[in-house]
Amino acid sequence: MIDRILLGHNQFFGVNHLDAKVGSQKEAQFSETKKIMDIINFCYDQDVKAMMMSTHERAVPVADEIQKSAKLKNELGIYLLVPYIAKYVKQANEKGIVNIVRDSLKDTSFQDKVGMFMRGGIGLLTKDIRKMITLLIDFEVAPFVKLNLKAIFLHDALTDLALGWGMADVLQLFADHVEKKYKTTPAFCTKNLPKLMKLFEKTTIKNPLIMASINKLGYQVNPSREAFEECLRTNELQLLAMSTLAAGYLKPIEAYEYLFSLPRVDSVVVGLSSTNHAVETFSEIRRHLN
Amino acid sequence: MRLAVIGIGKMGMLHAGIMNALDVVELVAVSDTTKFLLNSVKSLKNDLSVYDDYVKMLDNEQPDLVVIATPVFLHVPMAWECAKRGISFFLEKPLAPKSSDAENLLKKAEEKDLTTMVGYMMRYIDTFMKAKTIIDSGVLGKLITFKSTIYVAQLFKTGKGWRYSKEQSGGGVLVSQATHLVDLLNWFFGDVVRVSGHIKSHYSQDVEDFAHVYFEFKSGLTGWMDSSWSIRHHRLLQVNIEIHAENGDLFVCDDYVKLYLENGVNDYQVGWTNFFNPDLFKGVEMDIGGPHFSRQDIAFVNAIKKGSKLESDLRNAYQVQRVVDAAYLSSEKHGEPISL
Repeated sequence: MIDRILLGHNQFFGVNHLDAKVGSQKEAQFSETKKIMDIINFCYDQDVKAMMMSTHERAVPVADEIQKSAKLKNELGIYLLVPYIAKYVKQANEKGIVNIVRDSLKDTSFQDKVGMFMRGGIGLLTKDIRKMITLLIDFEVAPFVKLNLKAIFLHDALTDLALGWGMADVLQLFADHVEKKYKTTPAFCTKNLPKLMKLFEKTTIKNPLIMASINKLGYQVNPSREAFEECLRTNELQLLAMSTLAAGYLKPIEAYEYLFSLPRVDSVVVGLSSTNHAVETFSEIRRHLN
Repeated sequence: MRLAVIGIGKMGMLHAGIMNALDVVELVAVSDTTKFLLNSVKSLKNDLSVYDDYVKMLDNEQPDLVVIATPVFLHVPMAWECAKRGISFFLEKPLAPKSSDAENLLKKAEEKDLTTMVGYMMRYIDTFMKAKTIIDSGVLGKLITFKSTIYVAQLFKTGKGWRYSKEQSGGGVLVSQATHLVDLLNWFFGDVVRVSGHIKSHYSQDVEDFAHVYFEFKSGLTGWMDSSWSIRHHRLLQVNIEIHAENGDLFVCDDYVKLYLENGVNDYQVGWTNFFNPDLFKGVEMDIGGPHFSRQDIAFVNAIKKGSKLESDLRNAYQVQRVVDAAYLSSEKHGEPISL
C-alpha cells in the first residue's frame, strides 16, 4: 500500500520549476542537513510518514540521519528516485557517456558499493549491458539500502528515453531487478504517461506505480491534460501525482479539488520548504482522501 | 520516414528517442565507433541495424533523415556525406571548429535544396519564444543596450577528451555552450557587425573556461554577453538576457519573461507584465529532456515532410560561427574590435 501524502525533495536540492534563482536560494537554505531533518520530523508529527528521495549526493547525509533515528528508520517510508540525473547530464557534457561508464566502473567505491570484484575486467562487463544496468542501479541505491524503501522509481529522463527508443526490455529489467534484489515496488516517473502505458503492454508489468505531473493548468502534462485524463480513465495504474500546484501557480484548494476529481490518483507529493501553511495543506488533501 | 543517427552519445540518444516516438518517423539504424554502445543498443533493440561505419550506413539504409551528434570536428565531413547523397540532416551544435570549415558544405546543401537544422534548441524554449514575439512586435521602441549571461556549474578541474582540444572542438565554453546565447541574440537582434572578445582559461589548458563578448548589431544596438561553464550555484545551464529600450525593459531567462513598458501599446499594458513557464506551457507529443527538444525535432521532421526550410538552419549556424570566430580573433588581439 503506497502512502497517500509524500514529502517532496526538490526544494532541498535546488530544483524549482518557476525560478532557478529561488531554487538556488532554497538549496542554500537547506545546506545544513538539520534543516531538512526539521521538515522531515515536522511532517512525521503531522502523520506524513513518507518522502521522495533523490539519490543526490546531499541526500546521503539525510539518509544517515534517518538511520540514526529509531522511529524514522522504521516508520518513514522512502520512495527513492534513481538516478540524480543532472549529475550525469553534466558529466556527459564534460566527458561523454562512454567515459562516465568507464570511470564509474573503475572507481573503487563503485566496486565496493556494488560488492563486486572485476573478474575479467571491465571489458567483459561492457559486453553485457543488462548486467551493467543492474550494477548502475545498485550503485545508486547503495547509500539508501538500509532505509525503509517503499518503492524505487526510475527517473523520467531514463524511463522516457527507453520509451522513445521502444526499449520495453529496459523497463522490464528495471522492474525485475528492483523486485528481486530490493524486494520492493518498482515504479516509473514519466512525462509521457499515455505513450508509456502503451509500451507496458509489451512487458509483464501490470498496474504500475507511476509518478507524473498533473494539474488543472496542464503544466508539464503531455501530450495534453485531456489525453492524460483519458489515459487515467482507460488504464490500470496507481498514480503518485506531482506538480499538482503547477510550481506554485495554483491555490491548494482549487488544485486539489481538480486533482481528486480524477480517477486513480492514489497519492500526492507535496513540496514543503517551510512549515507555514503545511497543516492546512495536509488537511485539505485529507479532506479529499477520506 | 526512415531515421538514421550518427553518434549515440547523450544528444544522439535524445534525438533518436524523441523522433522515433513521433508517428511519422522510425529509427532504423545507428552508427558509432564505440563498440560498447553499438552492442548495448543492439542487445536492447534487436530490430535496429548498427554500424561502425556511417558511410556504409548511409548507403545501405538510404534514410530519409539523419541526425549527426558527434564530436564537433566530425560534423562537417559527416554532413558532407549526407548532403552529397541528397539526405536532409540535423546537426548538433556548434557547426564546426571554424566557420571556414563549413563553407563548402553550406554551398552543397543549398545547391541541393536540402532541409537542414543545427541544434540551437533555445529558440524552442517557451520564454525565449515569447521574448522574440515581444521584440518583433516593436512595443519596446528603439532598443538601446542589453546584457546577457550563460552559466553552468560544470567544470572545476582539467577536462579530458576532444572537448578540451581547440583543434577538435573549436574552443571552450564560447563555442560549445555560449553559441546558444549567440544564436538567441542573432535571432532577437539581427546581424552582428562588430565584436570584441576576451577569454580566460583557468581549469582548462587549450580552451577557455570564461568568455566575454561585446556586440554591435546592424541596428545600432550594442551589448555584452558573459559566459562560463565554471560558475558555481548554477545547477543547470542558465541564460539571462536583459534588454533596455526607449519604451521599456525586457528581462528573459529560462524561467520567465518580465516586460516593463513606459507606455502601453496595443495589447501590452503600461508597467510590468510577467509570463512564467506555467503561463506559456503547451504539451508536446513526446518529451525527453524538456519540451523544447521535442518542438525542435518536430519542426525539423515537419519541414522535411513539407520540403520547407527552417530559420535555425545551416546558414544560420554558419553566421553564429562567424561571430564566434571573430570573438576569438579579437581576444587574441586583446579585445580589438573585429568587423564581420
